[in-house]
Amino acid sequence: MSMSDANIALSAEMAARDNMITCRGVKKWFGDFQALTGVDLTVKDREVMVVLGPSGSGKSTLIRCINRLEVHQEGQIVVDGIELTNDLRNIDKIRSEVGMVFQQFNLFPHLTVLDNITLAPVWVRKKSKVEAEATAHELLERVGIPEQAAKYPGQLSGGQQQRVAIARSLAMEPKVMLFDEPTSALDPEMISEVLDVMKDLANGGMTMIVVTHEMGFAREVADRVVFMEAGNVVEINEPEAFFTNPVSDRTKLFLSQIL
Amino acid sequence: MSEMSGPLVVPSAGAAEIAFGVEHEIAPEDPITPPGRWMRENLFSSWSNGIQTVLFAAILIGILKWLLNLVFAEESDWASVATNIRLLFAYNYPVEQFVRVWVSLGTLLAAAGLSIAAWNLDLSFTLRKLGINTATGGGVLVLVGILTPGTAPSDVRAGMFVLGAILLVIGLAVLFGVKDPHRKRIPFEALLISVAGLVVAFVWLFPLGRYEFAGDEASYASGTINISTKGPWTVMMIVLVASFLVGKALGRVLPSGALKGVMAAFWVIGPAFLIFVVLRDPAFDWGYVWAVDVPMALGFALLGGGVLYFLTKPGLGELGRIIGAVLFGVAVFNWVAAFFGLYPMLQKGRISFMLLAVFAILAPTFAGERAARLRFATGWAVLVVVMHWLITAINTPSTLEIVAPPFLGGFILSVSIAYYVMLASFPLGILLALARTSKLPIFRVMSTVYIEILRGVPLITILFFFSIMLNLFLPGGMSISELAAIFTGYSLFSAAYMAENIRGGLQAIRRGQYEASDALGLTTVQRTMFIVLPQALRVTIPNLVGQAIATFKETSLVSIVGGFELVRIANQTIPNQPDYIGQNRPALLFISLVFWAFSYSMSRASRSLEQHLGVGTGR
Repeated sequence: MSMSDANIALSAEMAARDNMITCRGVKKWFGDFQALTGVDLTVKDREVMVVLGPSGSGKSTLIRCINRLEVHQEGQIVVDGIELTNDLRNIDKIRSEVGMVFQQFNLFPHLTVLDNITLAPVWVRKKSKVEAEATAHELLERVGIPEQAAKYPGQLSGGQQQRVAIARSLAMEPKVMLFDEPTSALDPEMISEVLDVMKDLANGGMTMIVVTHEMGFAREVADRVVFMEAGNVVEINEPEAFFTNPVSDRTKLFLSQIL
Repeated sequence: MSEMSGPLVVPSAGAAEIAFGVEHEIAPEDPITPPGRWMRENLFSSWSNGIQTVLFAAILIGILKWLLNLVFAEESDWASVATNIRLLFAYNYPVEQFVRVWVSLGTLLAAAGLSIAAWNLDLSFTLRKLGINTATGGGVLVLVGILTPGTAPSDVRAGMFVLGAILLVIGLAVLFGVKDPHRKRIPFEALLISVAGLVVAFVWLFPLGRYEFAGDEASYASGTINISTKGPWTVMMIVLVASFLVGKALGRVLPSGALKGVMAAFWVIGPAFLIFVVLRDPAFDWGYVWAVDVPMALGFALLGGGVLYFLTKPGLGELGRIIGAVLFGVAVFNWVAAFFGLYPMLQKGRISFMLLAVFAILAPTFAGERAARLRFATGWAVLVVVMHWLITAINTPSTLEIVAPPFLGGFILSVSIAYYVMLASFPLGILLALARTSKLPIFRVMSTVYIEILRGVPLITILFFFSIMLNLFLPGGMSISELAAIFTGYSLFSAAYMAENIRGGLQAIRRGQYEASDALGLTTVQRTMFIVLPQALRVTIPNLVGQAIATFKETSLVSIVGGFELVRIANQTIPNQPDYIGQNRPALLFISLVFWAFSYSMSRASRSLEQHLGVGTGR
């Protein structure tokens, strides 16, 4: 299946939107191991894209390349019109516009929830402390834990910590949010509280790339589902078609194993 | 989103890698086990346990007996310590100027009281602990009385029995007379006031005896100690208690953090002021001060502040870094040129310029709103003015007429060197540790070479090198006093060890912390200052305190390069006094006690600091 048509499986309305993220022939090696073998992918403005695939298929590596936590060696990544190169100014600019939520939350354990959220707006966006704190309280309200502002991350449950992590990213007013298996480290009863926040965000029009194993979420929220295998994109499809009538045999096998 | 507003979920284990700031309810202390049962369970639980208990008790008693024989040996003349207390603590500091020593000590105690209040350190403990400690102390004292050899004065021995019995009775009365002693806490105010009261009562009532000095002759008189000692100590205790109460009151009025900030600033520069301004009493040449020193300090403060205010403007971008780099280049040139005699400039100016360059490079990191920029510029101005005052004071001749050149000596010298060596090597050690973990090879190699060389050379070699040879290498017109040379060498040495300790802390930081900071767009400097270092330093506290203790004890090496610190006075000065020829044993025993008491206090303070910051305790 050729991936040269980057606008595959897009509705006409969606295809007319601007490209938010464009990947062309992205290759990435860890030592001798090739993690990405020439990924072509386009994410439209306000699109929610869910990336599925077996472990080791390069899903996390791909989204970590998009905000340059990993450096791709070949190919091109363009985010909101800015190409990712070694130029530090471009990297800083993209990082302040691309929010990222990690599997392990990665909150700063020595800072309170409020300080976790206000740190970057104050020091990177140069907002005033008062303004940043007002935004932080609004965001905590939005993710449903306004009463936890003064606590430390270690005092919160996993689901609450992940919601703080989402609020921390949103405080930077990003144009894109990347989610790297946001619910994989959570106890089952806490998964839905995080997914609800993400659904809310998607309905609000945020451009999102979500690496996850939550098939229900993919089916309900995604505009498109991407299936990756061995460092490359195997199939891009609308969620309904992806789950009921997948094109690739590999996808069928994957779905038969997990569903 | 109904499930989101559910009740607070109990934190799951493993949710956070290090549980900073987690509050748990304090577990109730166990009620008192009867002594009989306690001994059965802990000391004689089995035959082998019983044999070990008896064996080690015998060894401990043997050591104690041996130590007491040393203390009360017939040839030990304790008058050699009693008449030389002043020498041991302040060396040759003029007696008529001694009020300066007391003012310094009083200032430190006042700062201590304010700091305890500012950081809200709760050092209170339960009645149970008080009872156990008092009873144990009394018991040990009685045991010491029994083991004390017959050569000891009979009143000393009787005093031990009486005091030991009193403490034992009080301790047991608290333990068994009070209901639920493990549930009753003594408020810290009460504890502080009673300790201060006990000290005052002790110096006024306890018949230690005193020495009257007529010229060089000391004559013994019975009764309490001299008014010149007990008077100031009474004032000191009042100052301590009063400052604590004032601090508590201020804490209610001032915004939180204000008092902390002031006290932190005091602990950095205050002691240096006490040493170089209060103790040394520089004879300022006021004409020169007003004509040169004041304009220079103000010039740096205002012009530098203006430059920094400009550089912290948001959106200045590369320009800020470029200006900072240019300033830094000029500052480095200024230092290098000085070595070839090309660029004469007052040392003060050279140091200030270098500092300004460092601040300028950091400025874009601290860019922000008006208030933040003003704070940055004001911080610079205050720092410069204080630094200029201090450097001027150090370079002005002292008014003191001191017999031997060093105006610092004895215990004051040891503590001053240890304190400032730790303080100076701290930022240096942080920079070295960061450089050693840097991605840039030039920093990494330079830092590794520095650390490995300094750690591979004995301290005494470095002290010799700096005290004797450093002046030979300095350019003409520049010189450095022996004290400053020793201090510099010791700090550079200590920084190498500090760097390795801090590097350990840096390695404890998870990769996710770096990734999260990067993903938020923090710069490397911001990431280091706000995320990495605060976490790394907390982990490092126990090691840093260990190093502080080692640094304090190793100040005794200063004696070899000419400093009159405790060991040299005890081992050389006192045994050479006509009255006490060869009497070094009592003084050495005494300074061992002083060293131990201070090191032990530091280690205890470190433990409460760890608990306060929540390292490893899950608080």
